[in-house]
Amino acid sequence: MALLELRNVKKIYDMGRDIQVEALKGVSFSIEEGSYTAIMGHSGSGKSTLLQIMGCLDRATDGDIIINGTAVKNMNDFQLARFRNKTIGFVFQSFNLIGNLSALENIELPMIYAGVPRAERRKKSMELLKTVGLEEPAERGHHRPNQLSGGQQQRVAIARALANDPAVILADEPTGNLAVNQWRRILDIFKKLNESGKTIIIVTHDPLVGEEATRTIILEDGSIVNDERIR
Amino acid sequence: MEILMEAFRSLGKDKVRTFLSMLGIVIGVIAVIIAIAIGAGTTQNVTARISSLGSNVIIVTPGFSGGFGGRAASVLTSVLQETDVQNIQNMAPDVGTVTPILQKSFNILYQATNTVATVFGAYPDAFSILDLPLLSGRLITQQDEQNYANVAVIGNTIATTLFGNQDPVGQTVYVTAGNIKVAFTIIGELQETGGKLTFNPDNMLMIPYTTASARLIQLNGGVSQILASAKSANTALDAVSEINNILYMRLQNSNQYRIISQNQILSTISQTTDVLTLLLASIAAISMIVGGIGIMNIMLVSVTERTKEIGVKMAMGATRRRILGEFLVESMFITIVAGAIGVGFSFLIAMIVTYLASGLGLTVIITWPSIALSFGVSVAIGLFFGLYPAYMASKKSPVEALRYE
Ligand SMILES: Nc1ncnc2c1ncn2[C@@H]1O[C@H](COP(=O)(O)OP(=O)(O)O)[C@@H](O)[C@H]1O
Ligand SMILES: [Mg+2]
Repeated sequence: MALLELRNVKKIYDMGRDIQVEALKGVSFSIEEGSYTAIMGHSGSGKSTLLQIMGCLDRATDGDIIINGTAVKNMNDFQLARFRNKTIGFVFQSFNLIGNLSALENIELPMIYAGVPRAERRKKSMELLKTVGLEEPAERGHHRPNQLSGGQQQRVAIARALANDPAVILADEPTGNLAVNQWRRILDIFKKLNESGKTIIIVTHDPLVGEEATRTIILEDGSIVNDERIR
Repeated sequence: MEILMEAFRSLGKDKVRTFLSMLGIVIGVIAVIIAIAIGAGTTQNVTARISSLGSNVIIVTPGFSGGFGGRAASVLTSVLQETDVQNIQNMAPDVGTVTPILQKSFNILYQATNTVATVFGAYPDAFSILDLPLLSGRLITQQDEQNYANVAVIGNTIATTLFGNQDPVGQTVYVTAGNIKVAFTIIGELQETGGKLTFNPDNMLMIPYTTASARLIQLNGGVSQILASAKSANTALDAVSEINNILYMRLQNSNQYRIISQNQILSTISQTTDVLTLLLASIAAISMIVGGIGIMNIMLVSVTERTKEIGVKMAMGATRRRILGEFLVESMFITIVAGAIGVGFSFLIAMIVTYLASGLGLTVIITWPSIALSFGVSVAIGLFFGLYPAYMASKKSPVEALRYE
């Protein structure tokens, strides 16, 4: 069974005054567990919209999304929140760390919402810092986001996405705000996570970033124009 | 529990925002409490001055005549008689002491210094009825009264005018008018009292009634005014009606005399202070509204600013209830602590003002209702406008909330 399945998903943005933008024009595909998928396409082709809908950050206008056997359409806000908390790990282009919390506190946030006890949280967040290669020096975990470089911030954000051991990691242009020399570390983390069994979906307009994926879905103007398994 | 820690952490992490939010509430609370406190203090000051006379004093004065058809009204002199004083003494059971008063303006001469003052002739009881405290020397006695003694107790203001810093006791002054010139020995000086109802003892020369009627103010058995005291504050109204009955029996016309009592004046004043209170309540209401708008703005802005943070938290799996809970705890903490600080500062300011302005007669009295009002309203406004934008933000989808910059 597929981990994630989209059936004819449409998204129409209502701009008011009868102006509508059809960002997704009926998209269907499914994602297998343990796969590494890159969603590519030019700017404005609907990649972010698609990822946000898969991540339950927004609702589709039409169509069905089935994650882990559950239809998202039938879930209420409370169930969606639990889903975002436990099943999905989201990585944003602009990191979206909370500025007045330390790196460790940011990583702990999803665990707080999951009701994980304090001691366990601290232990897990330290482990996750190690996973993303930020364990040294020891005090870095207590730095605020603005005391970290962009690449370090994004690694904290990835650690946060991993906090509750989600079924899938969704990353929207994770290197988009980073200098090219920082990309490698980020992409290596995703590769290693996938090798250890994590399902990864990464959105990018840069072929270099999508290189390591095992499958490439290409969007154009809200429709899939190519879907290719590489390995 | 977890949510409490989370809230405190968030408050501690953004100290500037927390401080500004609190400042709005602190200022709002202080404004309201102090505005009302000044009002309450002033009201109490006014009332205290009027009650300084004691609530038992009754004054009978002649009524006014004329005043119709374009003629000026004039005071009816020689309406009140010594016999009225006798009758009140004998037939009004609720009246304690009573004294006739003869009073008139005279020139008072001491060596080369000359001033105009009211000569006030009354029984010695007048001192206790009007509660006039002595600064130095002694008061007029029954003995002086019987002996037609040429002795006088001098009010504070004229004492200063005539004698400067010198002790007036033992000095001789001359009371003059036309070809009259009578010498008086000063036996006592009064403390400064300020106005006492219709009297101003500071500008009086007080002499025995017998002396006044024999040597200075001859009214053929008539008296200027009658001064009496009720036996107790409770029977003051009865005493007034007894006096009224006695006077009405003889004069058969209630327009010919007026009875002024402390109670009556207090009730007139209380109408005035009611207006004052209303005025202050409006000032308080306005400061509450201004303070409230301040609190509203700062909470609205500081929470709306955090829409993106709310979006991130929702993306990480926070439910709406969780988000509202966090903001509820934060807003509660901010408003309650700031409200308490505001109340504390109000007391401090009241103390400082009282200390600095003690000479100016400005009294600041902090009242419990003003604390309850300002604290309650600030906390309510702070909570509402802390929660409302959080509620609006949490109703958005995470994507929408995240888009807020
Ligand atoms: N909130 C929105 N309101 C209106 N139009 C939007 C909104 N978000 C995206 N769009 C439009 O939808 C289309 C797809 O956008 P997006 O998913 O961001 O593309 P990509 O991530 O591939 O650049 C674009 O035309 C964009 O202008
Ligand atoms: Mg995009």
